[in-house]
Amino acid sequence: MGTLARRAVLLLALAAAPLAALGHRVHEYLQATVVSIEPEAIRLSINFTPGIEVADEVLARIDWNSDGLIAESEGATYAELLRRDLALRLDRGAMELELVAATFPPTAELVAGTGIIQLVFAAGALPLAAGPHVLAFENRHFAGVGVYLFNAALPRSSSIEIVRQKRNDDQSVGEIEFTLTETSAAAGR
Amino acid sequence: MDPGARLTRPSASAKLGRMQTRARFALAVLALGLAHAGPVFSQAPGEPPTGQIATAAEALLATLSDAQRSQALFSFDDEAQRKRWSNLPTGPFTRAGLRMGDLTEPQRAAVLALLTAALSPEGYTKVMAIVEADEQLRQSTGRAMFGRDEYYVSFVGEPSTTSPWLLQFGGHHLALNITLAGDQGTLAPSHTAAQPATYELEGRTVQPLGREVELSAALLRSLDEKQREQAILGFQVRDLVLGPGRDGQTIQPEGIKGSELTARQRELLLELAGEWTDIPHAALARAKRAELEAHVEDTWFAWSGPTEAGKSAYFRIQGPTVHIEYAPQGRDDPATHVHTIYRDPTNEYGARWWAR
Repeated sequence: MGTLARRAVLLLALAAAPLAALGHRVHEYLQATVVSIEPEAIRLSINFTPGIEVADEVLARIDWNSDGLIAESEGATYAELLRRDLALRLDRGAMELELVAATFPPTAELVAGTGIIQLVFAAGALPLAAGPHVLAFENRHFAGVGVYLFNAALPRSSSIEIVRQKRNDDQSVGEIEFTLTETSAAAGR
Repeated sequence: MDPGARLTRPSASAKLGRMQTRARFALAVLALGLAHAGPVFSQAPGEPPTGQIATAAEALLATLSDAQRSQALFSFDDEAQRKRWSNLPTGPFTRAGLRMGDLTEPQRAAVLALLTAALSPEGYTKVMAIVEADEQLRQSTGRAMFGRDEYYVSFVGEPSTTSPWLLQFGGHHLALNITLAGDQGTLAPSHTAAQPATYELEGRTVQPLGREVELSAALLRSLDEKQREQAILGFQVRDLVLGPGRDGQTIQPEGIKGSELTARQRELLLELAGEWTDIPHAALARAKRAELEAHVEDTWFAWSGPTEAGKSAYFRIQGPTVHIEYAPQGRDDPATHVHTIYRDPTNEYGARWWAR
């Protein structure tokens, strides 16, 4: 940490929550993705929780001016960095991800290893055509210290059926096989 | 035990009135909960529980000063307080309500009396064992963010036998959210956890979430090879998927479906789910059990992690009206620290009964 402000944040955080050695995840970066698939929209809701030992490195990528605050522009910049570490493909075709919502906790919580960054990305190229589809996702953000969860949300639309979910061992890579019924596809146009 | 017997219960205040020191509180925990060996609490089968619970809540409120009442009571439409719960200890997470450490002995006794009214004996035992685990953590680490004093009680809405209200009790590794609406009630969403997951107290080994481990292992052992292929996920699940902060979300079920289980296995599945659904008052638990039974063929069981006896692994129960996860934390010794979540995707915070 290069500034007094960052040091103050760190001191406050350490005073508040020295969770290392208390069993909480400290050396890892929890990244939990829930994918919502609907006829008109695919959204990724991702919660990021850096452990206390990696939080400083994560914060350094967010709080560019080291003032202990996360400005909207800093949050947007981090979300863009993160977006580049994500890959989403529908039926082997790459999908663009657009940030639609972002919530950053206070920096003291992040440094303490308890803050949760919540980002929501929308995927383009919809509506979907009727029939079977495969949505593939890969998360390379902080590979090595990442703890990943990847799940399909229960569809709200009865026209979407999740057929199968596959993941690699650490869930950094996953696929969702699903189908969209004809009726809904026609109605959605 | 005669299920029809009307049980009598010594008042919590009378018990605690004999306690002179904080150390002796541990004995009260043992007497009231951990060593619970028989019928101690009054919970008549078939009797709507809301009246008893509301009466106990009003008894607690009557012991409070005006300032304390203001701290304890929130408007029923206070969504921020309704959702203000966490697995984290005080400090990293700021709770509102009455802090147990700030209460007088009679007030603490009134909180315990309220919990005895709101919970089943088994649920009370589990809750006290979780609180005591955190006290063990405070003593072993010397950190004031842990321990019995750092639990909070609050009410979202005025206690009532007719209007909906929410009783909250929680702290590190515990979040009880009991919504009551007339004769109905729900525990969803709630969080139980433990660290240490096993400890010694008064010469006894206590494992607050031990039955969950035993019953899930029994269910896994009961599966044949084909069923295990369906139930065991081929990847690591290293944390809760729908833990604190994931209100309103639902995920696609995985694992083995209840319709693929035998009658005995379905019974085991319901018994396992009962470790969460049986936490509240027996009348509420019975209603929930009936609901789970009606949907058991559409209820899924999934497992991730070691299958050897004595190892700790992740498991999940998912059905139309239930979502339960059990997730060991960390890699070094996952059995020392466990988180769980209980949800009802159709009725979080009892919204089915009051949401417009």
